[in-house]
Amino acid sequence: MLKFLIWPLAAIALLALPHGLSFSQQEILVFLTINILLVTSYRLLTLTGEWSLAHVVIMGVGAYASALFTKELGIYVPVSMLLGGLVSALIAVILSFPLFRMKGFYFLIGSFAAGEIIRLLWKHFRDPFGGAKGIKGIDPMPDFSIGIYDFDFFEPVSYFYFAGLVVAVCMWILWRIERSPVGLTFHAVHWQDKLAEASGVNLRAYRTLAFAVASGFAGIGGALLAHYIGTINPNSFDLDYMVFVLTWAIVGGTGTFYGPILGCVALTILNEVILREMGFEQARPLIYGCILIASILFLPNGLESIVQKFTKRRAKP
Amino acid sequence: MISKIMAAGLSRRTFLKSTAITAVGAALPGAALAAGEPIKIGFLAPLTGAVAAWGKPGLDGCQIWAERVNAAGGIELSDGKHPVEFVSYDNEYDPAKARTGATKLIREDGVSFIMMLGGDTWPGVQPVADKTGMLFSTLLPSDLSPDSTTLIAPTEVHPIYLVTGVDYLADTYPDAKTAVICAQDDALGLPSVATYLAAFEARGIEVLEEPLLFDPATTDFAPIVTGLMSSNPDIICLDTCYSDYVHPICEQLFQQGYEGKLISATADFYDQMIAKTSKEFMEGFIFQFPDFDDPAMAGDKINFEDAKGFYDAYAERHPGEWGAVSWEYASIMDLWKAAAEKAGSADPDAVITAMKEGGTGKHAFGDAKWWGTELFGIDNALVGDWPVVVIEDGKAVIKGFKSIPDWYDQHGDLLIKHMQAYDQMYDQRG
Repeated sequence: MLKFLIWPLAAIALLALPHGLSFSQQEILVFLTINILLVTSYRLLTLTGEWSLAHVVIMGVGAYASALFTKELGIYVPVSMLLGGLVSALIAVILSFPLFRMKGFYFLIGSFAAGEIIRLLWKHFRDPFGGAKGIKGIDPMPDFSIGIYDFDFFEPVSYFYFAGLVVAVCMWILWRIERSPVGLTFHAVHWQDKLAEASGVNLRAYRTLAFAVASGFAGIGGALLAHYIGTINPNSFDLDYMVFVLTWAIVGGTGTFYGPILGCVALTILNEVILREMGFEQARPLIYGCILIASILFLPNGLESIVQKFTKRRAKP
Repeated sequence: MISKIMAAGLSRRTFLKSTAITAVGAALPGAALAAGEPIKIGFLAPLTGAVAAWGKPGLDGCQIWAERVNAAGGIELSDGKHPVEFVSYDNEYDPAKARTGATKLIREDGVSFIMMLGGDTWPGVQPVADKTGMLFSTLLPSDLSPDSTTLIAPTEVHPIYLVTGVDYLADTYPDAKTAVICAQDDALGLPSVATYLAAFEARGIEVLEEPLLFDPATTDFAPIVTGLMSSNPDIICLDTCYSDYVHPICEQLFQQGYEGKLISATADFYDQMIAKTSKEFMEGFIFQFPDFDDPAMAGDKINFEDAKGFYDAYAERHPGEWGAVSWEYASIMDLWKAAAEKAGSADPDAVITAMKEGGTGKHAFGDAKWWGTELFGIDNALVGDWPVVVIEDGKAVIKGFKSIPDWYDQHGDLLIKHMQAYDQMYDQRG
């Protein structure tokens, strides 16, 4: 019974959540929601055993594409967001040709280089990418009403509902992919690559598929971000941001679907809410770094290991 | 529902009032302050990260300013005197965090005015400013546009003041006829490059190569410096590089044996640069931001009250941290205080009206005029004289004050030409 109730209860809790927060916390909630999609999509790629340093730049590809589709071609914002995701996936497919000639550490460095090339292209071509200053005045999501609720997308609550719905749908798709035979094959590509290859699995094709799908969803995340803040520039998708994604994934753990989400939520609340509220605004990088080191030392399997411990104990009797 | 309230004929004032009701303890502009209640001023700038050197020293300066003003009784509005209090938010030079910070400062903290560094962060805040009508200031007039009437640049007219340094250089060293420029490829670097190009062209100084634009993530400056020196220029221009770049570039120039002239927008923490190079190497380094203990800052035309006292207090509390922005935000507060007292109110509309009355204002370096329609599409930059500073015997010395409007009257077309070439005119941005 509880199993059937949990989803409606979770949905009600999420609908009520922003109303219990301050205005700035509502803003943080919007960015957190987008980051959850980013880190969840990143985990899909890690299923195949590859860790990319280009994921945030690929997110930026979606953001730039969606912004340009609306600005230059006048495409309706929700459609341009989807197209932004498609462009990200397409770029990932193109990048996969050189990148998947490499594995492991070499892939990591190769992906970093690919990401930097894309960022340099944004900087170099002021037309259409706006150069170092990026693109400003990106069309916001158009307001609308559904009778019982008026969506004003300047307001973080409205945008949270919209982004939350988009992210929930994306996460459901990612979840279904992971549980499907394709997802199981991703695991096989990581853990039993020789055996999988001997069984006729095309390793490169599956790695490319994971890279493209993960990139597509990251691109949608980028588009959600671009149409909320109204401006993007190459520095919005730099290595610092990528390091945050990596730390969310590592601190949360990548063994389960929820691990990176836990990492993202816990570290964002710590960095953006708790440390700021405690008055440690300027000391945040130092404290954040210390907590990261401590969590890696004392929680080597990530925050997900705490949840696993708790659920295992409950399952025993 | 909040969105319903917002949708029902939202005006700036109704928005401010509705959020004031909702936000606990908020005292928003327009709503009267209780007698003696502090006036809150928002400080939304990078306090951590690579650009922190242009945020944190400014906040430190503001705290000293607030102590001095509060010790003198506070800010006198029509309902009596109010102490002033700064509320800071570290935007990490990120537009998304700047938006969150602006929302917090306006809707939760109830500030009456927000000071920003600007640059990459302003476009994230612009929708909040437009929606709320809050008065913002930027150090970078290149953020100004006719779209945002409540954004002002009342102190630093970056990068236009850079022309005064080039003028001084050309007057003092007429034999220096060739130059090269390097800058980080970002919102601060590019308009500055355009300005230096115009200033060099105006004085017949040949720029030997295309300005070298490096990635802001650069940490190894040896190849950049080698590239700059390869054409054997008389002048190397460091543009508006952050101190994290100026220092290693100077170190490399010293190590690679450069002997020509150096010009830069800033030389923050120049004592550290001297320590890393030598007093002789840094001799004659031209930049634009004075130490406020300079005797010239005690002149009659200076509008920054007790500049030396302010500098001494800063140096005592934050030794070795005096930089370009240490005084700038405090100087903006001088203007804001004068305007609020003139208007008798902290309301953003009243303050900006009082501030711009007569088209002139009291800039830290002398009386100035509200200016900028040609370059920014709006007269929201306060422009007058700007000092030229040179390092002499290990100490920054003001060599004189030069008029920016006078330069612009003669060479404005050159500046517009180069700004257009770099897509930096207000109608080219975005």
